[in-house]
Amino acid sequence: MAADQNKMTNKCINIFKIAILTILLALVLPVFAAEKTLRVLAWPGYADPDVVKVFEARFHSKVEVTFVDSDESLWDKMHAGHDNTFDVVAANTVEIRRYTREGLLQPLDLARLPNTRFQLPRFRALSSIGGLTRGGKVYAIPFTYSAMGLIYDRKQVSVPPRSMSELWNPRYRGKVLAFNSAQHNFSFTALALGVDNPFQLDANQMRRVARQLIALRRNLLSYYSLPEEATRLFIKHKSALLFANYGTQQLTQLHKAGADVGYVIPEEGAIAWLDCWAMTKAARDPSLALAWIDYMLEPAVSRLLPERQGLANTLTSPPELSDKSRIIWLQPVEDVGQREALWGKIVSGNLPERF
Amino acid sequence: MRPGLTVKLSVLLACIGILASGVTGYYAYSTNQSLLVNEAERNLLTSTELLSQRLSTVLNDIAADALTLADMPSSAKVAGLDDLPGDDAAKERLAQVFGTVMRLHPQYAQVRLISRQQFGLEQIRFDRDGDRLVRVTGSQLQEKGHFPYVFETLALAPGRVYVSPITVNHEQGAHSAEGAPTLRLATPVVTPAGSVVGVVVINVRLKSLLDAVQSDLPAGHQLYLTNEWGDFLAHPNPAMTFGFDKGRRLLVQDSYEQTRPLFDKTRTSVLVNGLDDPQRAKGQILAFVRTPFGLPENHQFVVLGLARPLEDVLRGGKSLGESTIQMVLAFSLLSIVLAVVFSRALTRPLQMLTHAATSFQTRHALEALPVTRTDEIGVLARCFDQMRKELKSHMEKMSQNQQELRHLAHHDSLTGLPNRMQFFHQIERAIEAVAESGLQLAVLFIDLDHFKQINDQMGHAVGDQVLIVVAQRLRSALRGEDVVARLGGDEFIVLIKGPGIVTEVPVIAAKILSALNEDIMTHGRRLQVCASIGISLFPDDGVTAEELVLRADSAMYKAKVNGRYTFARYQAAE
Repeated sequence: MAADQNKMTNKCINIFKIAILTILLALVLPVFAAEKTLRVLAWPGYADPDVVKVFEARFHSKVEVTFVDSDESLWDKMHAGHDNTFDVVAANTVEIRRYTREGLLQPLDLARLPNTRFQLPRFRALSSIGGLTRGGKVYAIPFTYSAMGLIYDRKQVSVPPRSMSELWNPRYRGKVLAFNSAQHNFSFTALALGVDNPFQLDANQMRRVARQLIALRRNLLSYYSLPEEATRLFIKHKSALLFANYGTQQLTQLHKAGADVGYVIPEEGAIAWLDCWAMTKAARDPSLALAWIDYMLEPAVSRLLPERQGLANTLTSPPELSDKSRIIWLQPVEDVGQREALWGKIVSGNLPERF
Repeated sequence: MRPGLTVKLSVLLACIGILASGVTGYYAYSTNQSLLVNEAERNLLTSTELLSQRLSTVLNDIAADALTLADMPSSAKVAGLDDLPGDDAAKERLAQVFGTVMRLHPQYAQVRLISRQQFGLEQIRFDRDGDRLVRVTGSQLQEKGHFPYVFETLALAPGRVYVSPITVNHEQGAHSAEGAPTLRLATPVVTPAGSVVGVVVINVRLKSLLDAVQSDLPAGHQLYLTNEWGDFLAHPNPAMTFGFDKGRRLLVQDSYEQTRPLFDKTRTSVLVNGLDDPQRAKGQILAFVRTPFGLPENHQFVVLGLARPLEDVLRGGKSLGESTIQMVLAFSLLSIVLAVVFSRALTRPLQMLTHAATSFQTRHALEALPVTRTDEIGVLARCFDQMRKELKSHMEKMSQNQQELRHLAHHDSLTGLPNRMQFFHQIERAIEAVAESGLQLAVLFIDLDHFKQINDQMGHAVGDQVLIVVAQRLRSALRGEDVVARLGGDEFIVLIKGPGIVTEVPVIAAKILSALNEDIMTHGRRLQVCASIGISLFPDDGVTAEELVLRADSAMYKAKVNGRYTFARYQAAE
């Protein structure tokens, strides 16, 4: 009888304990939920509202996305100070290298990023991509990229070009479009000339490349700045070749405009930018930040890059690219100022004897 | 204290008055403002359209200069690099002409002759460097074949003029034009055989162009210019211009949403004003006009805009605004006064009614009422007056009846003398009054002798007449302060008060007896009545009314026994 009573009392106490715990949890949980905020610094198209919404629901968190439109504004936001810090950031390999050196990023635990297993081998060999690792630790995970290949008009160019050198072919004089920017033009021209490291040119190589760029200028119809401008000129002036600074995005645009064009990665290789996700040192909730990076690599999310942005993702190879295509990820160049000064003279039409 | 009807009505009427004048004033003011702004908008639109025409004129003038230079026969020779004798001299003469054009037109930043051959190498080139004219020669000349103003112009028919988009000139070595927003006009140079061998290009700095366009614009006007996508090229704030050149689009559609139709080509002009849309165009009115620009087949255009401070426009309406405010204030004041007067006039008759009702209630006084009014208040007053009068007459009648009833209750209806109840009441009061003073009272019980026979033999009418006469005689035989009452039948009773009555009572009794004993003439007959009187004294014979009356009664019987027509004093010992 007494034992029974004891049992009853114990049971009552247990129920009481559970009730108290439940009430406490109910009181405390919303507070935690409200505090779980992830601040994302990214480029337009990387974190669309629907994608963000799914993440918020799945991880019971709030995501604040800030978009940037240039490397410079990205740099400014990363250095804005304590009031305006971010947990995760999307930046290209060159910028990631700068931020890692400055100690703004923290290493990533690959074991907590299981979706990296879906990535192509090219992107899993992280140490082969300059700027992503430092001291044996991984600081960023590739997310999206665009290779600057060559677009050609199938009617005028019957055999797909194998090298960027085709841009200099006098057959296409006045039918070539190039991009108006210093760094990439020097790099791809150096590649076409067979230079090993197109990002680190010595004085001699620099002179050769500059003269080669003048030769390219003389073979051009014009330079373009925006993809829309390139499409308009290409159609209006029946161009034959186009240096695709914006990659496959431009191919899509030209197809839409009715052009019969092809896209090739030259055999000497195409330079490409590669945007990666990284976690800042200021990240308040590393596991949530890692969850975001892993989420970005989910097939359903990464698939949106080609679908919506015309960009390539790191999970599937676009039809224009094979595993053998040589892609050279952007690296910091030896002297930006020098390249830009030279470029200014080239684009203004200075005669070769003035170089 | 709660405000009365007058105050409430005053406040209500005053509020209505103030509201009415305020609303009227506001509408007058805002209508006037809208009229002013509409007028100013029309004027501004006209100014902007004129500006647009002026821009076309200025561009045509520049185009004419370019065509003149291109038409010179030596231009084709120099551009075509013809190897002719005296070539250099011809080139120098042509260069002098180019130089003269530059000198005559300070707004030109560059004038050039560019050949199709040699990758678009410049053949003749004059730059402006500050105020200085610079001729660029030799290896300083540049290849321009890859610029749209060259390759697009080379594709044009003779006599046509290419107008470039307005962009920042990034061509190095262009002296003053370098880094400045620039417009280029170019026209093909054609040989007599009809082949296009080069182009004449005139560069104009946007600033010079706009200065020329807006030279006669009134002060206070601000100029806007955008390209066909809406990018600002001219803006009162220079930081807002050429955003696209710095990798950032700054569009007029974002600043002024209403300008969108200009760019989807549904409208050619748009007006924006800060009065209707204060959020977008704060304190301004603006007019935007789409202006064709360049070759018609390219469907290019720019958007010109002019802005004026809204304050300038509304200044004219300011005095009206002030007088409106004054008027509104005056009318508000007037409406307050009128409200007070009117509500008092309305409530005064009501107050009169209230006053009349109150004083009627408290004092039954008939105060004046506004009965002469012809309105509803007059009807109410008349009804009330009627009601009041009826009420008053009813009340008077009732009080008379009450008095009569009271008299009946205390008096004998036949003789008018106090009745038994009244007598006992009086005697009790008299006992109370003399109890302390030690004075005496006397009660005289009077019974008529043989009255029954009178009644029986001569009828009740005679009996009644006799009783009335007896009552009159008793009354007149006594002093005013003595009380005479009829107890019933032929019994009367008298109360005598005053000092020394012990000695006076027999005298009074004798006087009564003799007064009663006189003949009474009634119904033509002579009658003689006599009476017996019993006397009791206070406090000697009793201290209560009942005792005194009882003892006087028994004394009266003694008098009757003693032989009627006499009086007897109560004797306790008997």
